[in-house]
Amino acid sequence: MTDPAPPTLTLSGVYFDGRTSRDRAATLEVSGGTLVLRAEGGLETRWEITQLGIDPPIPGIRRVLKFPGGARFETADDAGVSALEARLGRNRGLGRVRRLESRWGTALGAVALMVLFAWGFVAFGLPALARTAATATPDTVLATFDRETVELLEGQGYVGPSRLSAARQAQLQRVFRRVTARVGGDYPYRLLLRDGAPQDAPFELGANAFALPGGTVFMTDQLVRLARDDRELAGVLAHEAGHVTHRHGLAGVYQGLGLSLLTVAVTGDLISAGTFAAAVPAALLRSGYSRAAETESDEVAARFLLREYGTTKPLRDLLARLETQDRNADETDVEAGSRVEDLLQTHPGTAQRIRHLRELEERAKAR
Amino acid sequence: MTERPDLTSSSPVPPGPPTREVPRVVAEVAHLPTAPTAATHPLSFTGQSGEYFRIWIVNLALTVVTLGLYLPWARVRQRQYFYGHTWLDGQNFEYTASPLALLRGYLIVGAFFLTYTLATNLQFQGWEIVAGVIGVLFVALYPWLVMKSLRFLAVSTTHRGLRFRHHGRAGGAYTAYGLANVAAVLSGGLALPWAWFMQRRYQVENAAYGSARATFRGDVGDFYVIGLTGLAVAIGGGLLLAVPVIALLVGLGILGDFDVVGGLPGPGIIAGIVILYAGLLALYGVAWQYVRAATLRYVLNRVEVGGVVRTQATFSPWRLVWIGVSNTVAQVLTLGLATPWAAVRRTRYVMSGVQVRAIQSLDAFCADFTPEENALGEAATELLDINLGF
Repeated sequence: MTDPAPPTLTLSGVYFDGRTSRDRAATLEVSGGTLVLRAEGGLETRWEITQLGIDPPIPGIRRVLKFPGGARFETADDAGVSALEARLGRNRGLGRVRRLESRWGTALGAVALMVLFAWGFVAFGLPALARTAATATPDTVLATFDRETVELLEGQGYVGPSRLSAARQAQLQRVFRRVTARVGGDYPYRLLLRDGAPQDAPFELGANAFALPGGTVFMTDQLVRLARDDRELAGVLAHEAGHVTHRHGLAGVYQGLGLSLLTVAVTGDLISAGTFAAAVPAALLRSGYSRAAETESDEVAARFLLREYGTTKPLRDLLARLETQDRNADETDVEAGSRVEDLLQTHPGTAQRIRHLRELEERAKAR
Repeated sequence: MTERPDLTSSSPVPPGPPTREVPRVVAEVAHLPTAPTAATHPLSFTGQSGEYFRIWIVNLALTVVTLGLYLPWARVRQRQYFYGHTWLDGQNFEYTASPLALLRGYLIVGAFFLTYTLATNLQFQGWEIVAGVIGVLFVALYPWLVMKSLRFLAVSTTHRGLRFRHHGRAGGAYTAYGLANVAAVLSGGLALPWAWFMQRRYQVENAAYGSARATFRGDVGDFYVIGLTGLAVAIGGGLLLAVPVIALLVGLGILGDFDVVGGLPGPGIIAGIVILYAGLLALYGVAWQYVRAATLRYVLNRVEVGGVVRTQATFSPWRLVWIGVSNTVAQVLTLGLATPWAAVRRTRYVMSGVQVRAIQSLDAFCADFTPEENALGEAATELLDINLGF
């Protein structure tokens, strides 16, 4: 740039004075620190090179040089302007962008990068973000979630009052307290025992147990009756406590939110058709996330069961009984499903979960 | 990408291409006392899908890598490509917005949008107040944002070294975009074409090139014709679509698949509902695209600038609807990779059907004092997808 005598550069193009729309053929001569513009009609103007503004390059479009007062010089001589830019050290960043834009190699690289990024974000970024957000969510929000969900479930008649005897209920509450004391962390736990199939329920919950983000755990009478002993139910309750401590429920909400924002951003102006088409992969992805959450909670349950009873068999048996809806079934009655079937299920295939629990037990014994 | 327009490698036209010589001569003749002769200058678009694809994808990748901070630069470059490849009378247009000004606007609007989304989705304590305040603020400011956006867009557009301008004021914006929209809703859509008329009139009547003001010679009745045609398309298409689907459903019902009571509906029913839903969405898209295309054509045929220039549109709205529909299909099938191709295809067709008729040479316009405009409104229209009509 400090070259004592840079060669004189002459560009030819068209000149506008910025006051009228009149175009004049013109030449611009750059020598040293001075610019001399000679335009059609005998016009000659001089500027200092520091007064010159050079618009960043756009592929295929003629270059624009701007002078004070709105005057401008436009030229097709891209090489000449690029040389001038290099000499003055202008538009370095966007000049590099232009070089990226003019090659097919970098364009294909950008396509690959986008695909990789989209995959990486959906597979790792979004769950990580959701987990972080879920961990950072204050407990008061969790309590609100629980309160409103309980109101909804009871108000809409999804669940009814439990038909279990008071003694049985008290016994189960004791089991729950022991479980949460061991693996529950610092949450205000409460166990709600409810009838999962009251009359006129809009949707039958049946034999089921689930945790709300703030530590409220629902367990239905149907599940209690399906179990052969309380060790099995303790396994289920430990699994639910795992959902609470890992904040799976909230992370799921955040993930759903992130996915729908992403869907809108990607499909953009593809009217509303896009939202419908995008709903299917979004649902598949969401089920993928909750499969990971189930596995994580199974590990919490396994830790509890191994410490208390030295085996994960109670939970394995109950899972098998849930799958077959047969009171006499045990873990050997569940066959592995096909891979496609696994993908479509919200929970990991029962066979897969049983296998995983068995592996955890073997690993604990080998230690 | 196999088609190559006559301007090979789209090298810019040197000053004084043959098309420009014609009006020169006409202009010489024009100051004779006889009736002025009009010269027609066609608009042309020289952008190419392959070239634009590279710009688009590279800028998209840079936006992603910079976590969105590059977005204003990407937007400006993409717009500069389209403006720069649009030629009128031997000179191209230029988009001159500053990415830094846009970035500030994006950050402000983005922060509000994010807060609103989080509030409505998470429902933390006091979310109703936060969401309510932002919602009311948006509704109250909407016409003002549109005005800011129009003004910013106009001063950011240059042709032949002169800037465009928009002289719109808040009062007019609140009538055209506030009152008119409220009336359209309250009247159950009856006043909607009137609202379109008010909005286009506001856009055009306040526009200026240099010191030459534009006038709009449109009539509200014609907007009703466009609106009714769109409605007819939607209703007619809906009937054509509904008859076979209902027949199919009834047929399946007879076959005993109609198992809604006590269980989930059968796969036939679900398929029928999906087809009906997708069909209705497509119809809505077609009707809306027709209204947009017909309005664009109508407005362009009713604009006059400085009393000496008229714009004229000869493209077919139906062809534009077809381009819109097939573009959407191509974009969906390629997961968005066909977006640059679709944009170039649409712009090329529209521009090839737009002419400027002038009774004075286009190089005889004068500048006007142009104040700088801030980019907040522009950012809002970009990020919140406010439709300005074209």
